[in-house]
Amino acid sequence: MSFLINALKNFLHRMFQVLSLGKKTITNSLSIYVKHIGGRTLAVELDPTWDIKNLKEVVAPKLGLEPNEVKIIFAGKELGDEIKIEECDLGQKSVLHAVKIAKKTKLPQLNDGSFIEENEDLNSSKPLSETLDDSMFSHEDSSSSSAIIDKENSQSEASTSKSKVHFYVFCPTCKEMKSGKIRVRCHFCKSGAFTVHSEPQNWHDVLITKQITGTCENSPESCANVLSNREPTFAEFYFKCSEHTSLGEEDGAVPLDLIRPNLRDVPCLACADVCDPVLVFPCTEGHVTCLDCFRQYCITRLTERQFWQHPELGYTLACPAGCPDSFIKEVHHFRLLSEAQYAQYQRFGTEEFVLRSGGVLCPQPGCGMGILVDPGCNKVACINGCGYVFCRLCLQGYHIGDCRPADYDSNSNSEGCLYNVDPGRALEARWDEASRVTIKSSTKPCPKCRTPTERDGGCMHMVCTRAGCKFEWCWVCQTPWTRDCMGSHWFG
Amino acid sequence: MANIAAQRIKREFKEVIKSEEVAKCAIKLELLNDSYTELKGEIAGPPDTPYEGGNFVLEIRVPETYPFNPPKVRFITKIWHPNISSVTGAICLDILKDQWAAAMTLRTVLLSLQALLSAAEPDDPQDAVVARQYKENLEMFKLTAKHWTNVYAGGPFVNSDCDDKIKRLIDMGIEEHQARVALSSYNWVLERATEQLFS
Repeated sequence: MSFLINALKNFLHRMFQVLSLGKKTITNSLSIYVKHIGGRTLAVELDPTWDIKNLKEVVAPKLGLEPNEVKIIFAGKELGDEIKIEECDLGQKSVLHAVKIAKKTKLPQLNDGSFIEENEDLNSSKPLSETLDDSMFSHEDSSSSSAIIDKENSQSEASTSKSKVHFYVFCPTCKEMKSGKIRVRCHFCKSGAFTVHSEPQNWHDVLITKQITGTCENSPESCANVLSNREPTFAEFYFKCSEHTSLGEEDGAVPLDLIRPNLRDVPCLACADVCDPVLVFPCTEGHVTCLDCFRQYCITRLTERQFWQHPELGYTLACPAGCPDSFIKEVHHFRLLSEAQYAQYQRFGTEEFVLRSGGVLCPQPGCGMGILVDPGCNKVACINGCGYVFCRLCLQGYHIGDCRPADYDSNSNSEGCLYNVDPGRALEARWDEASRVTIKSSTKPCPKCRTPTERDGGCMHMVCTRAGCKFEWCWVCQTPWTRDCMGSHWFG
Repeated sequence: MANIAAQRIKREFKEVIKSEEVAKCAIKLELLNDSYTELKGEIAGPPDTPYEGGNFVLEIRVPETYPFNPPKVRFITKIWHPNISSVTGAICLDILKDQWAAAMTLRTVLLSLQALLSAAEPDDPQDAVVARQYKENLEMFKLTAKHWTNVYAGGPFVNSDCDDKIKRLIDMGIEEHQARVALSSYNWVLERATEQLFS
């Protein structure tokens, strides 16, 4: 008797919960979308304290199904009935996927059903945000053996202090580094109705494609690979910003995999403070800097134009401790710079790219347009820029015949500065011309890349400071540095 | 000055003060201003070198971009060494140039300079005259370096022959240091030094 009453009570309580939905949402609601495989998308208001079972009871009738015929998929996991909504790492306007459970599994309830339940008990019904922890993602994922050790470590640590996973992303909407959330979709059809067969264990699993297999719940017509089954269905991981309301499934963010929580209280390489989060360089030592020092490092290198134009990675930096093979692969890390600094980074990167590709930069002050020129042609016109026509070799106004040698000696000898101003150019910006004279009289161009170079002391042996050039030349001869230079005018 | 540089120097200063090298009097570091941009370093000449017994004072300037750029270091004490300019005290050492890494500290710089005193690299010289002497007449180089250490760094080895020759030039109206440079450069041959000074 009491059992019946209890059951009734329970039922009424639940009904009440469902009915009082409208009232509850006013105080503390989460508005999300539930996408059904048939194509319908429902907008649902949720109370974060609900569990998935409550959600199914709300959603199923709207889809014309019974609550136990529906499974809810989120971030690569089928969520178990007892999971609380607030545990799921959901944000406003997040999208959940509702899938009708295939009938096959329903019939042999005794065998198959119990098996599935057992399987689900092993964490698989919990959302990814609950099962992943930081220790997995705090190591370089070089060898599998270390990954196993990591796993053991994380398990022993787990009992004492298991910290939920932290991801950092660059969010294009917020234009800042934000904390991020990991999401999963089908590699082929990009559908979010996708469950992973195993969880990612490290950054390698997440960033490299086709590492983790899963089941795509999308209808066969939509996911061709389910239909033809030529390849196992792979999971694709992507990231979202966790700080602004989701703008839909396209609203991704770039994972900044080098930025990690400072689990071991490693002091910063530069300032020796213990900060959190930190940037861990991709060198074997895993050198750590705090984010302020990372910015300072970037600014210092950027001002000196010492970023490296890497053929595959782009304009990037290596570990400040000078470790080999430590280039930052994800250049979005440089988004930690201010907008103005990042714009400078982009400009320098573009210029270096142009120079590396054999192009030239327009020498007109204030222009600097990158121009790719045919190898044999020395007459260059700045077509989409300022229109200046110049000689590719000496970067002076275009001329017929040999380039006029720069008259440095007359400049340094005479106080009056006998620089000859081309009459036509004299009419142009005087201020720029003045600074050009200063640059010309105090610098000489690197014989290889023509970067104006100033000598502020020391010997005549010059090494071009432009990253990637490093040409060794003689200040006196303006030719490559030779033994003769060393013998006759090394020190002047 | 950027806060990072000052903060870092503050820590490094403590590191040096507490180090065992300071306890053994091998290196010394002093702050010259409150903003941690200028320091005075001192290193002891390593044993079994011509610099033994001498104390060499260094000027250390910390750039705003420290530790991402190296500190600017120069010898204040005059020294006869292939990698250090006998005129300006400028140092030719890779870690003070392109081989600098942010993980290095003032302590490692001072120790590296001490190591440079025990092992010169004449093939990558800062002072061509000294380097040539080092390669062509090592004994003469050692004698000269010892003499300079005695005169400028308080080293114990007095060389009366050198002192006499310098005195002869001083009597001719030549300034003492100028006389020493000329004699050092011409392997202490008085005639050649005189010739060069009066040519």
